[in-house]
Amino acid sequence: MINWESNVFPGILGRTCDRPCEPACRRGRVEEKPVAICRLKRVAADNKGEVKSLMPRAPKEKNGKKIALIGGGPASLTVARDLAPLGYELHLFDEWHKGGGMMRTQIPAFRLPEEVLDEEVNYVLDMGVITHFNHYVSSMKEVLDQDYDAIFVGTGAPRGRDLKITGREEAAKNIHIGIEFLANVAFEHRDKIGRKVIILGGGNTAMDCCRTSRRLGGDDVKVVVRSPFKDMKASPWEIEDAMAEDIPILNNMPPKEFVVEDGKLKGVIFGKVRAEYDENGRRKLIPTGEPDEFIEADDVIIAIGQDNAFPWIERDLGIEFGKWDIPVLNETTFQSTNPKVFFGGDAAFGPENIITAAAHGHQAAISIHHFCQGLDLMDRPAPGANLVRQKMGIHEWMYDNDIAADLRYKVPHEDKVITLTNRKIEVELGFSVSTAFKEAQRCLNCDVQTVFTDSLCIECDACVDICPTSCITFTMNGEEEDLRQRLNAPASNLTQDLYVSDTLPTKRVMIKDEDVCLHCGLCAERCPTAAWDMQKYLYNVTKASKIL
Amino acid sequence: MNHIVNDMVVRFANVNGTGSASANNLFAKAVFRMGIPVSPKNIFPSNIQGLPTWFEIRINDKGYLGRRDGIDLLVAVNPQSFDKDVKSVRSGGYLVYDSTKKLHAEQIREDINYIGIPMMRLCMEHYQNPRQQQLFKNIVYVGALATLLDMEIEVIENMIKEQFKNKQKLIPSNIQALELGINYVKEHYELLPYRLERRDMVGDHILIEGNAATALGCVYGGATVAAWYPITPSTSVALSFDKFAHQLRMDSDTNKKKFAIVQAEDELAAIGMVIGASWNGARAFTSTSGPGVSLMNEFIGLAYYAEIPVVLINVQRGGPSTGMPTRTQQADVLSSAYASHGDTKHVLLFPSTPAECFELTADAFDLADRLQTPIIVMSDLDLGMNVHMSPPLKWDDNRKYDLGKVLNRQELDELEHFGRYRDVDNDGIGYRTVPGTHPKKGSFFTRGTSRDEDAKYTEDGDTYVRVVNRILKKWDTAKDLVPGPEFSSKNDHPNGIIYFGTTNYAAMEAVELLEAKGIKVDAMRIKAFPFNQEVEDFINQHERLFVIEQNRDAQMRAVFMNELDTNPQKLVPILNYDGMPITANNIFNQISQLIPVSV
Amino acid sequence: MSYIRPVFRHPELAKNAIGYSRKDYEGAISTLCAGCGHDSISGAIVQACYEMSIEPHKIAKVSGIGCSSKTPTYFLGNSHGFNSVHGRMPSVTTGAYMANRDLKYIGISGDGDTASIGMGQFVHAIRRNLNMMYIVMNNGCYGLTKGQESATADKGSLTKSGSETKYPGIDLVGLALELNATFVARSFSGDKTQLIPLIKAAMSHPGFALLDVLSPCVTFNNNKGSTKSYTYIRDYIEATGTVDFVPKEEEITVEYEEGKSTSVQLHDGSTIKLSKLNPNWNPTDKLSAFNRVQEAKMKGEVLTGLIYIDPESQDLHDVMGTVQTPLNTLREDQLNPGMEALERINQSFR
Repeated sequence: MINWESNVFPGILGRTCDRPCEPACRRGRVEEKPVAICRLKRVAADNKGEVKSLMPRAPKEKNGKKIALIGGGPASLTVARDLAPLGYELHLFDEWHKGGGMMRTQIPAFRLPEEVLDEEVNYVLDMGVITHFNHYVSSMKEVLDQDYDAIFVGTGAPRGRDLKITGREEAAKNIHIGIEFLANVAFEHRDKIGRKVIILGGGNTAMDCCRTSRRLGGDDVKVVVRSPFKDMKASPWEIEDAMAEDIPILNNMPPKEFVVEDGKLKGVIFGKVRAEYDENGRRKLIPTGEPDEFIEADDVIIAIGQDNAFPWIERDLGIEFGKWDIPVLNETTFQSTNPKVFFGGDAAFGPENIITAAAHGHQAAISIHHFCQGLDLMDRPAPGANLVRQKMGIHEWMYDNDIAADLRYKVPHEDKVITLTNRKIEVELGFSVSTAFKEAQRCLNCDVQTVFTDSLCIECDACVDICPTSCITFTMNGEEEDLRQRLNAPASNLTQDLYVSDTLPTKRVMIKDEDVCLHCGLCAERCPTAAWDMQKYLYNVTKASKIL
Repeated sequence: MNHIVNDMVVRFANVNGTGSASANNLFAKAVFRMGIPVSPKNIFPSNIQGLPTWFEIRINDKGYLGRRDGIDLLVAVNPQSFDKDVKSVRSGGYLVYDSTKKLHAEQIREDINYIGIPMMRLCMEHYQNPRQQQLFKNIVYVGALATLLDMEIEVIENMIKEQFKNKQKLIPSNIQALELGINYVKEHYELLPYRLERRDMVGDHILIEGNAATALGCVYGGATVAAWYPITPSTSVALSFDKFAHQLRMDSDTNKKKFAIVQAEDELAAIGMVIGASWNGARAFTSTSGPGVSLMNEFIGLAYYAEIPVVLINVQRGGPSTGMPTRTQQADVLSSAYASHGDTKHVLLFPSTPAECFELTADAFDLADRLQTPIIVMSDLDLGMNVHMSPPLKWDDNRKYDLGKVLNRQELDELEHFGRYRDVDNDGIGYRTVPGTHPKKGSFFTRGTSRDEDAKYTEDGDTYVRVVNRILKKWDTAKDLVPGPEFSSKNDHPNGIIYFGTTNYAAMEAVELLEAKGIKVDAMRIKAFPFNQEVEDFINQHERLFVIEQNRDAQMRAVFMNELDTNPQKLVPILNYDGMPITANNIFNQISQLIPVSV
Repeated sequence: MSYIRPVFRHPELAKNAIGYSRKDYEGAISTLCAGCGHDSISGAIVQACYEMSIEPHKIAKVSGIGCSSKTPTYFLGNSHGFNSVHGRMPSVTTGAYMANRDLKYIGISGDGDTASIGMGQFVHAIRRNLNMMYIVMNNGCYGLTKGQESATADKGSLTKSGSETKYPGIDLVGLALELNATFVARSFSGDKTQLIPLIKAAMSHPGFALLDVLSPCVTFNNNKGSTKSYTYIRDYIEATGTVDFVPKEEEITVEYEEGKSTSVQLHDGSTIKLSKLNPNWNPTDKLSAFNRVQEAKMKGEVLTGLIYIDPESQDLHDVMGTVQTPLNTLREDQLNPGMEALERINQSFR
């Protein structure tokens, strides 16, 4: 339930997340790879017990407010999950016959099995959400005209970019837009592709397209990107998985022309470039002068990005749009210029990812709740936070403070001989429970804080001596810049504040640089007077309703 | 009249601190140089000046060199002990005395012969300096005695010339003193029925103190660090090491020492230094006696348990406590074998001659390094401080030191995991490293506390048991490395005798005495503890074993019972513990009373 | 869990001149009580050895028995260590030094290990001017046997249970001066700024260097009324001067006030710089050292810092006349005189 509370889709995100959290993981400051947070969420989700009975329920007695949720993806579902327990009557519209949005249409089943998706989508829908599937909302005006108290738009970024170069029209039959291709496969409108396939584009959609192609009969699948390999947008692990399925990635090759013979696509001609970067890091692709290269193809899939598209929102409804057809929103409340209308997910600020959509959903739900109850939207409750002492005995703590030295564990994969035969067989097998436990032991316990009480300190140096990462220094106080130089180990990460105590009896201060603190608790253990303490810090993002 | 040739016991009764020792040695060595086996014993007090001291020489053509009861010839020049000395001469024996003053009536025995030589008067007449008067009195009686026994005087003269090679001006006065004695006897007495005749019985043998040979064993065994605390009778081991090392161990280029000797503040420090040096990869030893071993007990246990090579020379004396510091015993067998608290036992080596002192001491360094444990060389006062006729010392120039299992830097580099106390070779012995070998590998913490195979502190019972059992396994390994017993006859008779160390001399003679009476026994001399299979077999194959030792409590017998589970009924103790070296007669008498003479 | 230390160290930890990081000088995790002064001394040793760029395996650690003597496990894990028996560390170190004069020897002892059971060996190590750094982790009590007062406890000092120490304490610094020790210093575990340069100077001194380090026992002797508590020492501490150690290769960059500073050149070319001196004291003048110690005693000061150094101190091996090559490296060819020499010896016994 903890896994589910803020995340809403742990089973889904545990498989598909872009992992914005992992670069922030401090494990990456003491060695190369952070904790596999994402895949640990999956293990937790996969191995959960019966949770259905623990889920919040929608009250039978409704509160009389009616909300429309347009789009059945993660943002709308999050809003629904947060508002349902408060008694709102929720109407969810989606053009497809099932909920989930892009999680269903754009993520191939070999990465996200349908059962997992259905389960987590249904946890929300089963909270009494009134669904309107197979219902494409074609007019916002129509919706506004109905008696909804608020409208949430979570329609994603549904338009795949096209590539208008020579031959595009002639070969249209064999040229596909990535997200459309994926949706067609997901809904089983398509189960075949040519033997030779070229994927244009270097994002995650491109990776999903190429791997899907491998499962639909493409045995000579190539990804071609215009920029250098290192500039590819796809997550490194997605690239890795694609390459593991024998898909070469050719770089520095912008497409120039689709070659069509006898009305049939023959292949693509690519130019050759190299990247140059100016002092601002802006990239320029300069032709190298090498001859163009022709690559044969039976099918080409274009996966070079997505755009927001709101053709169904009339522009006279008080909903303002800005650059690139993105709605003008309050960044805190997600309210549009029409106070009744809220946006979230990719529909809000352009393509992001699922976890961002869920985060938007939580915030939008609060806004909608405040809006419906006549409260100030900007007066938002603070996130939950508390500190709890962790000390048990001389060297016993309530948290696991033994920091494992293990390198990041790899998630095992099913044999590709098997997975390539059936697009529904999940590639990643997930961590075993025991491996997951070991991986979790790599955590540096950011949730456990070192708390210093200067009045208790006898300046015995025990904490300084024991600290494995030389975080603690006792010295004369000074300006921050100067202090950073005088510490036992350099404090060069300027984004990390120094923890400085009040002046101690010897006129010195205690300074702790949190940067690579392992939260191992040794300072607190070696402290004879409990001037140091380890306290667990719980942060709970504010939600419209209390879930746990 | 029948002459008794080359078979006698001559005793000198002197006052210590009067220079008698060198005169007495002069006499003994002169006999030796005439090719006649001799065995001198210094019976001295724990005192520097003024107390009675005796010097007893057994002269025996057949080569029996143990002490023999009965004094044939006594040179009595100590008024303090004179009355007692008179009584010690065997009936029919001779007493040489200073006739400057008349004897009292009660000092006259009817059954012995008196030879008066006016030593004081002669000296007073011929020398002015009081010190000279006292010193030359000794030479006077040597001259007299040599003449009475019909010795080759030039042998003595040559020795005097050799002795004062570097102080030529002392030669004439010494020769003069000698002649005073010679001439007086020639003028006043007939030759005695005891005669010394030249023989060729000593071959290339040498006449050397055991302690000097032990010290040479240390030099040849590669000892570079010696730490010691003065204690009789072991002091001369350290002093001899110092002397020989200065002769043999100076760096020829720099004239610097390739050895270090520390006279420690006590025995505890002495063995501590040895342990520190051995831990640091040098060969080191200490020499002491029983009281010193008692003090060293704590450190011996540490060396045993932390597995550090130690060579300890125990020159035993009479105990317990301060005991009889200048008398001999073999009474430290148990306290050495099981020295220190907790379960310990130590390798003991029992030399019986100076040659063995040399050999076994040199071997002790190899054994200590090989077994990584203390090795105790069990000498005694008789062996250590008296000169003995001994085969010459031998060294094989091709011999390499066995430094045991010590890993060097390269070996450490190649090693995946170093665990100091791992039994890699299944012989109970781990690999050690010496400080300073490798910057990143092979360091460990040596400690007397319990630890695991990787030298990490632990109080885990199973690990402790594993480790101490593994140390015990070394004991089995040691059995095949230490010298085995020596048999003079084996497996023929139901009775056997077992002996060790200096008892050798008397025991060998006793076997022949018994045989002459028709009592046949097999004989085994133990050279080391632990006992190997041969020792066990010998004990199992005999119905009754006489265990001859020079202590009260039959300590070696106790060790047999303890280690070999031998039936105590079978082991008959034959003991002597009056502080004097055991005699063949003593052994003979004790055994012959227990075995009926077979016809 | 203070029985396990994470393997991670600060990723930007600097390396010293010979390419080692501080981690290479660390030992196992301490099992002493939390806040024990001894751990700070261990930390200071680690820091000093790291800064001096000594290869860890060129140091040997030797100790006796007691809390103090456990500490060599907790520093210099790549150095060999020897936890010997109670009060006997000096003899083991003497032997080790005889065997190999090329290593640096750190002897760790406590007040019980030195001033009681080990007094005999302590004074003789001083007498021989054994080339070692001898650190007494002095807490005025027997920690490992739960707090009995030791021979260095000051008369009148209160124990944890409130009883008063009846006998005068043995002052190891005064004793060492009397015994002609060639390097005498006192410091405080809670003052690394002073302790680290003193350790460096002591390790560079070619002879016996005594470092009497007051090191409060937080568990048994940190109570009110104790003269070995953190508070008492901080209240009464007085330094002879500020100590700086400048290794041979480095230039002296800090400016010292004229007349209030002095420097002592050591045999290996390094320099001890002392500043903020008491005007009546000169570190190379024994009489002034005696006076300073007595004066402090009368005033009730806890005098710390370098107290006396003899710059003419001579290495024990040089006094003994041993070869430069460490004795433990000599083998048969250099040690064994051979049969020919033995036969000459035999002949002298015929």
